[in-house]
Amino acid sequence: MRKITFSEATREAMAEEMEKYPEVFVMGEDLARQGGIFGQFKGLPDQFPGRVIDTPISETFIVGGGVGAALGGARPVVDMHFADFIGVCMDEVLNQMAKIRYMFGGQAKIPLVLRAPDGLAGGGAAQHSQSVESFFIHIPGIKVVAPSNPYDAKMVLKAAIECDDPVLYFENKVLYKESGEVPEKEDEVPYEIGKARVEREGRDITIVSYSIGMKNARAAADELAKDGIQAEVIDLITLSPWDKECVLNSVKKTHRLCLVAESVKQGGAMAEVAATVAEEALEYLDAPILRYGAPFTPIPFAPTLEKLYRVYPEDLVKGIKGVL
Amino acid sequence: MSISSPRNNYNLRKKYQKGVRTLPEVTREQAKKFYETMCTIRCFEESVKKDFLNGEIPGFVHLYIGEEAIGTGICGALRTTDFIESTHRGHGHCIAKGADVNKMMAEIFGRIDGLCKGKGGSMHIADFSVGMLGANGVVGGGYNLATGAALASKMILKNDTVSVVFFGDGASNRGTFHEAANVAAAWKLPVIFVNEMNCWASTTPYRTTTAVENISDRAHGYNMPGVVVDGQNVFEVYAAAVEAVDRARRGEGPTFIEAKTYRIEGHFVGDPELYRKKEETMEIFHRTDPLKLFKSQCPEGIDFSQEELDGILTAARAKVAAAKEYAVSCEFPDESEFYKDVYVD
Amino acid sequence: MATELLMPKLGLTMTEGTIDEWKKKVGDPVAKGEIIYSVATDKLTNDVESDTDGALLAIMVPEGETVPCKTVVGWIGAAGEAVPANAPSAPAAAGDGAGQTATAQESQKTAAPAAAHTAGEYVLATPYAKKLAKEKGFDLAAIPATGYKGVVVAKDVEGFVPAASAAPAGEAVKASPLAAKVAADLGINLKDVKAAHGRVLAEDLLRYLAETREKAEAGESADEREEVKNMSGMRKAIAKNMLASVQTSPTVTFNLGIDMTEMKRYREQLKAKEIKVSYTDLLVKFVSKALTEFPLLNCSVDGNKIIYKHYVNMGVAVALDNGLVVPNIQDADQKSLTEISKEVKELAKLAREGKLPPEKLQGGTFTITNLGMYGIESFTPIINQPEVAILGVNTMEDKVVVRNGEMCIRPIMNLSLTADHRVVDGSVAAEFLQRVKSLMENPALILA
Repeated sequence: MRKITFSEATREAMAEEMEKYPEVFVMGEDLARQGGIFGQFKGLPDQFPGRVIDTPISETFIVGGGVGAALGGARPVVDMHFADFIGVCMDEVLNQMAKIRYMFGGQAKIPLVLRAPDGLAGGGAAQHSQSVESFFIHIPGIKVVAPSNPYDAKMVLKAAIECDDPVLYFENKVLYKESGEVPEKEDEVPYEIGKARVEREGRDITIVSYSIGMKNARAAADELAKDGIQAEVIDLITLSPWDKECVLNSVKKTHRLCLVAESVKQGGAMAEVAATVAEEALEYLDAPILRYGAPFTPIPFAPTLEKLYRVYPEDLVKGIKGVL
Repeated sequence: MSISSPRNNYNLRKKYQKGVRTLPEVTREQAKKFYETMCTIRCFEESVKKDFLNGEIPGFVHLYIGEEAIGTGICGALRTTDFIESTHRGHGHCIAKGADVNKMMAEIFGRIDGLCKGKGGSMHIADFSVGMLGANGVVGGGYNLATGAALASKMILKNDTVSVVFFGDGASNRGTFHEAANVAAAWKLPVIFVNEMNCWASTTPYRTTTAVENISDRAHGYNMPGVVVDGQNVFEVYAAAVEAVDRARRGEGPTFIEAKTYRIEGHFVGDPELYRKKEETMEIFHRTDPLKLFKSQCPEGIDFSQEELDGILTAARAKVAAAKEYAVSCEFPDESEFYKDVYVD
Repeated sequence: MATELLMPKLGLTMTEGTIDEWKKKVGDPVAKGEIIYSVATDKLTNDVESDTDGALLAIMVPEGETVPCKTVVGWIGAAGEAVPANAPSAPAAAGDGAGQTATAQESQKTAAPAAAHTAGEYVLATPYAKKLAKEKGFDLAAIPATGYKGVVVAKDVEGFVPAASAAPAGEAVKASPLAAKVAADLGINLKDVKAAHGRVLAEDLLRYLAETREKAEAGESADEREEVKNMSGMRKAIAKNMLASVQTSPTVTFNLGIDMTEMKRYREQLKAKEIKVSYTDLLVKFVSKALTEFPLLNCSVDGNKIIYKHYVNMGVAVALDNGLVVPNIQDADQKSLTEISKEVKELAKLAREGKLPPEKLQGGTFTITNLGMYGIESFTPIINQPEVAILGVNTMEDKVVVRNGEMCIRPIMNLSLTADHRVVDGSVAAEFLQRVKSLMENPALILA
């Protein structure tokens, strides 16, 4: 099968959707002339003139205008440059895009995708490295996705663009460069937002993650396998609304749960998973829930400190062996 | 530095902009429709006020009394398919844009047959069927939505739909205005910024927080026309709106219309208004009530007898009374509605 | 700090006692000096007071159950405090379903686990291990833990083989862990308990207990004119002791009338000196004197052995509203009449108040029981075991008697001596009675 990068996969998704739906357009900073700071929009401006729009540095407009364009009948994709900047336009996310459909009694559709590159990228420090997805799972009315590999990146983005609800699409900056198998268009299996995937089956413990956290999950599972420990690995893919069923079924089978994400552990998306398992499947747990995430600090600049901020597969392996 | 009181700044007779400005043709039928709309808004607000004070309406309501000519004049220049973004003080915009008064009233009473199935209420009222894209509970939340809708119309869907955003002098100080106005002007988007300069940001006189005398002066900084109109004169508002709409449809970009008016009621129903004198407010209302001034403001050749005008007011009152009767006859939404409309799918 | 409540040893010979009544429920606050429970022993119901402020944390021995002295019957401590992990286990209950609700509920927390954990300890187990144990009807506390931090994990449950005796729930009867534990503690066969929802739950057990008790209380009598009541602890003790006495001792009762003329005079003389004594006091003094001369009347029997007591602990039966007790005056033969009189009064008062110190009820060597105040002329008292004789005192009344060939009226009092013929032959009993008569008719001899 052909291999392409995560970044290329998202570009393909954009191109295919823009081809399919004339009302799809994309706007954000540095997209048309530069192709996006991670190259994820390269080529699109030529392919779709006038539909890849460079905006001023006006995140409030980028998101608010995206919501307005969706109200006006378009199907916008807006780019946040860095996920950290959603903070600039929180009202447009929290009070506008998330609320409009419900508070107007279902009169409106907001088919908007907000793309948000996130994660540690080496020296990005406190304002350019965050993974902020967890804020948004607390907001009813928007959907939150965070794919972990090129194939998912493409299929999830296509699903997000075709979705009539606002979708926050978190794409990890490190993953952009990573390659993975992506089938030809005719062999693609569409992604249904809200579905998790059991990426690897196992009987001893369930490891749940998403986005770049999956690298830790996979590496830990490989390491555990050497000792005959079979970890079941679940890629959540959609964080809101998330696939409870998939996780609960797995926990009922393995009776142990390990959660990992790159974002701040406290109040993170994985806390929601942990709480739900405790609420709905406590009697199936044969070990405390293990949860790995970033410490409760802003992201430091110095490499020595940034290193401490990360979670490593060894952390998971050690923890899992402690409860088996 | 001295900060003038709103009273001293309030000068309705001040001509909005010098230069050649010809009033568009207004038929008698149109004028009558303006008066009908203004009467409906007035009666609607009076009815809501009474019912709110009687405890029949939940939440908070913000009244448009005294400002009727603005919504009426602006919406009078729009097509049903054009969009408006409204504010928390939005009943008047909604009525002027042509929303069903019964369903509006039902919404304000929180009923399932309301425009938003009782899920929005007064501050979050919308009627997409007439291009009313919603009131906004966040002050200054509408600029970017309207600008985005205008962007979609002009740049993506390639139609000639115009978007209007209403906002008060308080909202004019939100940063959202800057981002939207800049983009709208830069890309010549078909959006009209309608500032209802009613002199009060909640309890704060606007000149205590705002340096410019006319907020529309700011429009020039965006290379956007800014005009001041008498917000108590529906014909003047209408004239400015027609011109702005024409510009927008011609692809020449946005316009800033500042309509001078005065907030007669408190910020919300129940506001004790400790920050101003009731007599002063009533004196201004007495002088500037757009319903009272209507007859004298009619363009040459159009005349209404007082009886006819009284008849229109009486009819409006009956229409609103029927709306109230309809609203209270509707059920509250039941549990089955609770999770509906969070998502499309 | 939780403190254990023990089955008290009320005297030297007491080896076991019965919880007669819990005056407090688990969780009830208890003030220092308040009565927490009462204990029934032979001829005695004694209240046990709290010597601390706090709350009753746990009941380990339900009402009606008999346990050896020093057994932990409950726990007292600060409200909400946990019972210590090393709390000794409750002794197995008699299978009469005598537990009461609070006890049954409490036993989940406090009663005896088998192996891995001790009573009162919260069993650390993963939720899944708990679920498995519940499904299998295993007692979690019995399962040895191998998991992280000493927690019972699923594989411990899966690998657990319950001991036959430790598996009251058995394979056949499904029961919740709580129900299994309570049943085990109370010796109830789970098969006898009807499960309302598939498996036996604690509530089924409680219903079973209530029904069992109801049946027991209702007895066989369906007659509305009859009423069936449980015996009080004291009544049970009396019944048990009387029956045992009759079954133990072949008795003969001897009656003899005593001329109380001199004794009356003697009493009047004392009274004139402000020394007020009762006839009982006088009898204690004079009979004690006689006993020192008749060791066979002041002994006890242990199999083939006779234990002679070279001391006289004179028991005096005290009638109470709900029974009787027999406190004794230790070394009565060594005491002056005044001392005896004072002690008899004190003992009677304490007995009526239920405050008799246990040692006063133990170690009697002979008993005097007086029914004279009821006008009784003769009766056959039953020996207070392990004594061998008891002296019944009857009414004193003026009778026509012949003295020196002349009829005269004298105050006569009958004494009824019941003696154990195993050791006391008729002649010995008769001589003893004669000696008592002689002493009482010639009070001066007491000094001899």
